[in-house]
Amino acid sequence: MNILFLIQTFWAAVRAIPVTVLITSASVLIGLPLGFLLAWIKIRKIRILYPLAVVYTSLMRATPMVLLILLFYSTLPSFLNVIMNQKLHWHIKVFDTNPVIYAIIVFSLIAIANLSEVFRSAILTIDPGQKEAALMVGLSPIQAYYRIIIPQALVSAIPNIGNLTLNILKGTSLAFMMTVQEVTAVAKTAASYTYNYTEAYIDIFIIYFILGTLLQIIFRYLERYLSRHKLRVKAV
Amino acid sequence: MLKVRNFKKKYHQHEVLKGIDIEVNQGDVVALLGPSGSGKTTFLRGLAFLTPGDSGVITFDDQKINIESATPSDIKKLRRKMGFVFQNFNLFANKTAIQNVEEGLIIGHKVSKPEAKRRATEALKKVGLQQYANHYPSQLSGGQAQRVGIARAAALNPEIILLDEPTSALDPELVADVLQVIKHLADEGKTMIVVTHEMAFARDVADKVVFMDKGLVVEQNEPTSFFDDPKSPRLKEFLSRISAVNVADNSFEYEKAVQK
Repeated sequence: MNILFLIQTFWAAVRAIPVTVLITSASVLIGLPLGFLLAWIKIRKIRILYPLAVVYTSLMRATPMVLLILLFYSTLPSFLNVIMNQKLHWHIKVFDTNPVIYAIIVFSLIAIANLSEVFRSAILTIDPGQKEAALMVGLSPIQAYYRIIIPQALVSAIPNIGNLTLNILKGTSLAFMMTVQEVTAVAKTAASYTYNYTEAYIDIFIIYFILGTLLQIIFRYLERYLSRHKLRVKAV
Repeated sequence: MLKVRNFKKKYHQHEVLKGIDIEVNQGDVVALLGPSGSGKTTFLRGLAFLTPGDSGVITFDDQKINIESATPSDIKKLRRKMGFVFQNFNLFANKTAIQNVEEGLIIGHKVSKPEAKRRATEALKKVGLQQYANHYPSQLSGGQAQRVGIARAAALNPEIILLDEPTSALDPELVADVLQVIKHLADEGKTMIVVTHEMAFARDVADKVVFMDKGLVVEQNEPTSFFDDPKSPRLKEFLSRISAVNVADNSFEYEKAVQK
């Protein structure tokens, strides 16, 4: 065991944490509103869009992340190149674009599909009786949704949003395949010079463990904060 | 004030309501009785278009609605005159007791916030829950939750309050408080339709008792004749099955609760 290498690589990998965090948080933040929109389409069974939403969701959820990344990274830039440069003559350097952008796109597409299912099931857990009560006191259906149903659905969705964020965080370790310099990629590259793979993997392990634990703590706190109304306090 | 003609409703092939005719006058308390599956709740929910009927005519004051051709704005206008109290309360779980009452005032009826607070406080006071204003529904007992539900409906001062088995989901000991609150509303002259299984309450508070069975109104009468002198064999059978002793002994139980 090369302790010096272990420590050096650890700090090198730590410096790559912002990239990992950026990809994860950007994907989830993009996924939240769009996933919600998709969930809305599925719940209201909006014409034309509904079957598309269903197909998209099952496609994204049924295929392995690795495959999506490889497929996307090998085809999208060439595809964009054909459209933007050969057809539209915009002369954008598609192949020089920072691969982080592509990673964010891929992980956002995955997040959208999964979050739409999270939101859909969360909204369906809220008793429709509350919506009826809202209509009877004069709220419009849209007001009933955003004032009564959605705030409660968000709370019950938090643990699942946490799970998904955790999965994406771990999934970003695959972004090295897109030449993104995130935690895994940095450590692996360092190891490849001296063949100290064990040390590199230990470093990666520690970093993901810390990040994952932090994330779990954040989401647990968020859940507790948002579900104040569920706390059973002894009645006065 | 409210007149319903030939109200029909089918679930798939099963005809739940086969043409209900009912008339409610200003200040009336109408108790709707009948065995399970007779369509009482379906009818009440149909009146508020929560589960709309298939056909029939609802006339409310000067508004006449043909159920088949009702538009969303017709329904909205009709609902504005109605309050609804649900069997399982349906309080907004993310809002406190007072916010539950204020919601309809501020958002639904565009009342200013201070005025809404004043009215909501007063409504909670009337149901005896002033000190629970800042409790969330999960912190209330069933009886308290239902009283908030009643306050929420009554605070909007609707012309009629529809109550769908308001005490059926409650522990027996909590029923009395809720019935007492409903009786108060009746004493104030509120017009109400109550679907209920509380015979003593129906007898004591209602101005008119309507008996439904198998999707039809079988008999309706003022309470004394209804209970003491039932005309139709079906109602006689129904009343004989509910122990007469029960009715006699438990009557005014909610009055007793108040004296405590």
